[in-house]
Parts: sequence; C-alpha cells; structure tokens
Amino acid sequence: MRDLPEAPALLALARDVLVNDLLPLLPPERQLDARLVANCLAIAEREAAADAGAAEEIRRELEGLYRADCPSPSSPDMIRRSAGPSLCPPGGERVGVRGETPTSSADRLVDPLRRFARELRIGGFENSPERAVLARAILWRLTIAKLRLANPRFLAANGFL
Amino acid sequence: MADTASPRSEPSAGAAGRGAALARFLAAASGARACEISGLATLSGGAIQENWGIDAHFSGGVLAGEQRLVLRMAGATGVPSSLDRVQEFAVLRAAFAAGVTVPEPLFASADPAVCGKPFFIMRRASGIAAAHRITRDPALDPVLPQIAEQLGRELARIHTIRAPRADLDFLRSFEASGPAPQIAGFRAYLDTHPAPRPILEWGLRWLETHLPPPAEPVLCHHDFRTGNYLLDAGKLTGILDWEFAGWGDLHEDIGWFCSKGWRFARLDREAGGIADRAPFYHGYESESGRRIDLQQAHFWEVLASVRWAVIALQQGDRHRLGGERSLDLALTGRRAGECELEILMLLDPGGAPGNA
Repeated sequence: MRDLPEAPALLALARDVLVNDLLPLLPPERQLDARLVANCLAIAEREAAADAGAAEEIRRELEGLYRADCPSPSSPDMIRRSAGPSLCPPGGERVGVRGETPTSSADRLVDPLRRFARELRIGGFENSPERAVLARAILWRLTIAKLRLANPRFLAANGFL
Repeated sequence: MADTASPRSEPSAGAAGRGAALARFLAAASGARACEISGLATLSGGAIQENWGIDAHFSGGVLAGEQRLVLRMAGATGVPSSLDRVQEFAVLRAAFAAGVTVPEPLFASADPAVCGKPFFIMRRASGIAAAHRITRDPALDPVLPQIAEQLGRELARIHTIRAPRADLDFLRSFEASGPAPQIAGFRAYLDTHPAPRPILEWGLRWLETHLPPPAEPVLCHHDFRTGNYLLDAGKLTGILDWEFAGWGDLHEDIGWFCSKGWRFARLDREAGGIADRAPFYHGYESESGRRIDLQQAHFWEVLASVRWAVIALQQGDRHRLGGERSLDLALTGRRAGECELEILMLLDPGGAPGNA
C-alpha cells in the first residue's frame, strides 16, 4: 500500500525539477554531473514503471526452449554431444525452481538465464536448428527488453521502436 | 579516456608543491640551467590516467624558451591490461619514430620523488578530442572524410612497427593476447560477474568457432578510436592514449575503430562516427599496400563489441565493488546492453524482431 504519487511519478518530477529548474543554475563544469543524475533518474523511473510482463515472457520462452525430456543427470559433455532434446541443465532441474524462492519476476529469471548462458557457452543449441532459432529469439527479446529500460533512445537509433 | 588541451581547473596547492620537484626534474632532463613552471593544471578527459598541462620556461637546454607540455601518470585506479607510464612512453617513442602523428615524447621517470608515481612528459598538442563534439559539429562535416582517410594512414604507420623490438620487449606476445586468450579472459571475467550475460556468451561462442587464421603480429594501439585523437581547426594533431598498445592482428584496430560503440552521435557513419568506411579503409590500404580482409575485420568488430561490453561491466564494477563513487562509472556499467544489441545485429541481422 503506497500513497500517491508513486515512485515513477516522483522520479519523473524530480528529473523535471533537476533538468529545468536546477541545472541552469549550476556552473558549466557541474552540468554534466547533473545530466548524469537525470539519466539515473530516468532509468529508475522506467524500471519502477515496468511491469513483470517482459521478464515473465522470457521465462516462459526459456521454459519452452527446455520443455523436453531431461535425463538426469546430464553433464556438460552430454549436452555438447547431444543432438537435440537433452538440452536441460546438469542435474535435470526445472527452470526457475532451484535454490531460494525468488522474490520478483526479474529474480525468478536469473537462474534460467544463468543456465541459458552456460549452455550457450558450450554450443548447446548448435545441433538443433529449431532450438537455435528459439534461443536467438530469446536473446533478441532479452536485449530489447533491457534496453527499453536502460536506453530506449539507443534502441530507437538502431531502428527498434 | 582522452585529453583535451584545455585546462579544466586552476592550479591547486598540491600542484604547487608538485611543481617545484617537477621543475627540477625538467631542468635536469632537458639540460636547462633552470625551468620555471608558470602553469600546472589537470586536463579534462582521462578516465584511467591523470594528465597535467604544464606551461614552462626553460633557460637553455634542448627545450630552451617557452614550452607547453603534458605530464601523464596513473590515476587513482588502473586497469589490469594497461601499460605503466614508462612503458607507454616507450611505445609513444616508437610511434613517433615511425612517423605517426603523436605528441613528441620527451622524458620519462619512475622516480617517485618527483610526482609520487611513474610519469612521462610529452609536448602538448592542440585541439579537441571530445568525441561527442567531433561527431556532432556540423562545421567539421566537410573535413571528416579526409580525417578518416588520414586516420587510416596513421594506423597503417602504427602497424609498420613489428616484433621483435628490444625497446618494446615488455609487450605481451601475440600468442598471449590474441583472440583465443581474449575470449578466455572475457569468460573468466563473466564467471565472476553476478548477472548472467547470455548474449555475451553467445557472441563469445561465435568468436571461438570463427577464429581467424594466425596473423603476423603488428603493434596495435588497441584503443584507436574517435575520442583518442585530437583535431585542431579541422586538422589531426595527435593520436593519444597508448596505454593498451600491444602486439596484435592489424584487423583488431580496424574493427575497434569501426565498432558501433565508438560512433557516438553518428551511428550511421561506420568509421568512428566521422565517415563511411571507404575513406578510412582507402587510407589504410594506400599507406600499407595491404588489403583489409573484410571477413577478419567483421570478426574483430564482433570481438570489439564483446570487449566493449566487458569493459563497461568492469567500469561499473569500479563503482560497485571498487569503492569509486562515480555516476559516470555506474552508468557506463549499464551500457553493456548496447554492445549486446550490436552483437545481435552483427551476427543475426535476419533474426531481429520485425524481420521475423
């Protein structure tokens, strides 16, 4: 339960005051710092306003990527040699259920992403064209989702609206 | 990471104390009867090194008269792959002797009694290095293609320096700094990083499976890019920041220069944000008499984006873990995602959403 205005609105207001009211009063050599502060506020505002949709979607796509029989245990060597469905992690654990109970969508995504990264390192999807396409689609979605928060202007400058 | 020639701040009390010892050093090193320092102030730029502008009058010796110089020494924190200042001085001397446009290196000293740490002295080149200004200023637009061509020629001259060189025997061998060891180093770093980076892992896997054939090693600047050269009135006046120099593949510097991470305000101008690739490549090929292998340049451009991403994360670490309270470093740490987008655009252009 939070009073209004909520965090995104507060951050937007703080940024507006900084850029439009305070920055012109600063000596030129400190204005860059103020712009960096404004940039931090903008990132924080976007992250505070973001819903869990993107992270949840990526998590579901990772589940889809791993939705296969998972022989247990499977070693990285087995993964490397395998031609397709045995792309589950060593130990065969399910996506997102290892360790402590995650507290947010982003937290719940960390373990699946770590596993995904580990398998990309050893070429885990290279023997299955279908999975390779799925994996690349997840990489795109992940990258764009992060940049929407961190630097949407860069995303737009590269043709992604 | 670069210098500009404009003093950023007034001389401080610390600078005054440093000045006396420095004046004695400069007089002795130049064979002057005396050296009087009239100005000593930090120069802007320099994320890793500290640069001081010196205005001095020399009575006699090889620098007799008024001189504008730069003192360069390590900043508060270094980075692991960076040369020390005496080594950087040796590289700068080799580049100067090879005809590269650099500020003339003058003296170096590892004696802590002078400045507290090793340093070297070079002449102060005039101009600006600020990449956002160079890539944004419409007044510069007409000359930038020529600058790109000249930079290609400068790079070719740097690459005429070949191993073995007794004066550069401290540089790591190419076997120790080539693509495979770099890939291993990036992975080792990622293993220490708390957040998984699947795109970097995917990029590294691609690099690992597309290694170029072994190259004849040349001296690579390893940070040859917009932001690390000076322009004065539309003319190139100096290539700066040699602290990462080492033996490498010539395409490594070419890929780094063209990498999107160094295009600043002009992503569309693929040669350092200042021009198309054509004049830059033409300058390089004309001066060197060698053809640039486009496939290899592409490989090194992918590696450049991975390297930039890792550097961004490491800069963030300096703030997050290293005790350096810095908005700039913290925000740089958030920029790895930009490099990751570029890796995807380079390696999977057809897979971009919207193309699917």
